Amino acid sequence: MTAGAVVPPQAADEWRRVHVISPLVRGWIALVAILYFAGRDWFEGLFDADSRGRGPLPEGVGLLLAGGVVLGVVVVIAAVFLVSWYFTRYQVTAEHVRVHSGVVFRQQRQARLDRVQAIDIVQPFLARIFGLAELKFEVADAGESAVRLAFLKLDDAKKLRATILARAAGVEPDPEHPEEVPEAPEREVVVSPPGRVVGAALLSGTTVALVVAAAVIITLGITLDTPFIATSFIPLLIGVVGAYWSALSTGYNFRAATSPDGIRMRYGLLDTRAQTVPPGRVQALGIVQSPLWRLKGWYRVTVNVAGYGASASNEGQARATLLPVGTRDEVLQILALVLPDPGTPRPVEVFGAGMTGRDGGEGFVTTPRRARWLAPLAWRRNGFTVTGTALLLRSGVLWRQLVVVPHERTQSLSIDQGPVDRRVRVANLQFQTTPGPVSPRVLLADADAAWDLFHGQSVRAAEARRRSGPEQWMKPVSLPAAQTVDGPDHRIEVRANTGPGVSDAAPGDSGRASAVPPSGQPVGLHGAAEDLPVDDVATRSAVVDGGPPITAGSPSGFVVPSGATDAAVDRAAAPEQAAVMPEVPRYEPAPAQAPRSLEEAPDGQR
Amino acid sequence: MRSEPIDPSGLEWTRVSPKYLRVRLLGWLIGSLVWILLASVPLVLRLTGVWDSFPPVWLAWGLPAVVLVSAVWRGILLPRQVRAIGYAERDDDLLVRQGVFFQRTMVVPYGRMQYVDVAVGPIERAFGICTLKLHTASPATNAFIPGLPTGEGARLREQLSARGEARLAGL
Repeated sequence: MTAGAVVPPQAADEWRRVHVISPLVRGWIALVAILYFAGRDWFEGLFDADSRGRGPLPEGVGLLLAGGVVLGVVVVIAAVFLVSWYFTRYQVTAEHVRVHSGVVFRQQRQARLDRVQAIDIVQPFLARIFGLAELKFEVADAGESAVRLAFLKLDDAKKLRATILARAAGVEPDPEHPEEVPEAPEREVVVSPPGRVVGAALLSGTTVALVVAAAVIITLGITLDTPFIATSFIPLLIGVVGAYWSALSTGYNFRAATSPDGIRMRYGLLDTRAQTVPPGRVQALGIVQSPLWRLKGWYRVTVNVAGYGASASNEGQARATLLPVGTRDEVLQILALVLPDPGTPRPVEVFGAGMTGRDGGEGFVTTPRRARWLAPLAWRRNGFTVTGTALLLRSGVLWRQLVVVPHERTQSLSIDQGPVDRRVRVANLQFQTTPGPVSPRVLLADADAAWDLFHGQSVRAAEARRRSGPEQWMKPVSLPAAQTVDGPDHRIEVRANTGPGVSDAAPGDSGRASAVPPSGQPVGLHGAAEDLPVDDVATRSAVVDGGPPITAGSPSGFVVPSGATDAAVDRAAAPEQAAVMPEVPRYEPAPAQAPRSLEEAPDGQR
Repeated sequence: MRSEPIDPSGLEWTRVSPKYLRVRLLGWLIGSLVWILLASVPLVLRLTGVWDSFPPVWLAWGLPAVVLVSAVWRGILLPRQVRAIGYAERDDDLLVRQGVFFQRTMVVPYGRMQYVDVAVGPIERAFGICTLKLHTASPATNAFIPGLPTGEGARLREQLSARGEARLAGL
């Protein structure tokens, strides 16, 4: 990355501190607790003294003393927070974000920007009152945030996010105004109405549990004729209200948007959160429908993102949720954002079959009939299919589930077989991804089909990794010949051989891939971006909006923005952000006599 | 016991060192003894009359008997289990298989390896073998090859690291 070398030190490279109020916002619970306990002691002491008629000290002195102690404690705590605030500094350079913290035990942390997996801006309720926000920078360590900056002014947090994302994306800064990194434009694609969130909570398992528990308690109360019914409802109600509240507060006002920097999500009732997941960071995606949601045709979409990890907390679950409750169309829209190229000309049909279908339609390979006694209900639904870009795994009859794993995201896979499985010649496959709520696996697949998938998937994954996009997703891509390529591989060809990690010239590579120098660095500029002024917005829009990556001439069922390629230069040159709004990828149903997919696997009945 | 999806034809497994069987047998012997001793405690107490009625005699005898039978069964199975462990290096990935009844084959692409561990315990060191473990970005990738001769372990480690570097892919 050359930006740092070319551009003189920028304002954003300064060492900075978080907002001066943040110690107060972070420590307010401690302060309130101290005031509460101290105040209560003082108050009770006063009361005792009055009732007994003998004060240990004259009235005014006691008050002063108590006030002094409280004040002293508060000052000490405030000083601790203030010192810790003073020694916490951060810096964003062209390649790294650094945080220095600690007074006695110093800590200096440095994270590479192009390793970003997600950036969140969180506003707890109190911080929201002060107009502050916390910025979380996630890398792939699946646990604690690599960098947490609490708290910044909301505007500063947004600016910092834009700066980090622009640099992580490899956007060349504007040489004249290096400080001004405009926020990438975004377009809202999914908005959950509040009514649906309430409905989803009411139709959730919590309600079922409530009804069952109430029935049990009432039955017991009537048969045993005891009056404890009312009291046993209290803990139940507390739990239920808590569950409803967390569903409501995390799903409330949910909006998903697409931007060149990836998928944006905003949600929250009291605490609000804005998440940005850059392109290519979703490791696996799960679409789940619980039995009651079937009445309304709702689904939930969860994802494995390396930075989010597998947290059981409400917050962790909410972070890994890409769509808390949505209709089938919204799910398909979200899928189109995660997987812009579905790798099949019939994406709506294929994903639809995955979400609700059963048996061998749309290329799904299901559990063979001879093994149906091992899964009497689910055998017609257990299945998998492979498209050009992703693997679809379907399971579950009551809790319907569809898991989508992009080929280049497979970490490793295993096939296992027990003695019973061996008798009926079936096998199970497990795909390992980064920690998260989604666990991709295939149950009870025909042994030969399982082996084909196992072997084929490792080949496809290796192939997809070679072609996958760069880590710096806006980095201009060099491919002189790619612009003229037509056909189904169009998008893939253009995005090929960039970034670190795709430089291996392994046997079987295409000629183009092996032409990349071993360093793995892009050698030139993207054909489209080449002619553009090196302006942040312009470059972004050129690659995302006008570049061949999205579509042109692809038969894969997208809405092709008309004349996208030609328009790119004009649009990019225009200064207004409105002009460079990203086109929203969308799956379109295949026409009636669509050709069958080339990728289609053989039907499952063997 | 070769079955197609687990042991595909056209793939030669490298088996682990026979010394690993001795390590496993040693561990099995110690473990079994401890368990049998523990399971015999009620029997001893019952026979010496410290406990007079609680565990019925059949239960007091039955417990160590069950433990003994399961230990013998595991002991019989051990040689086959050790023989079932194998690995194969292919151009782009490493395959590891294990298991006699519940068989599993795992494939780990070289480019996905984050790091490689070689671990040697005291007993393993005495026999000159080591255990190699592969780590990817997924903690669920539970790929380890026990019972490698020390030299082979070092060679494999270097080989895997080199290949991983050549095929390095992010996440």
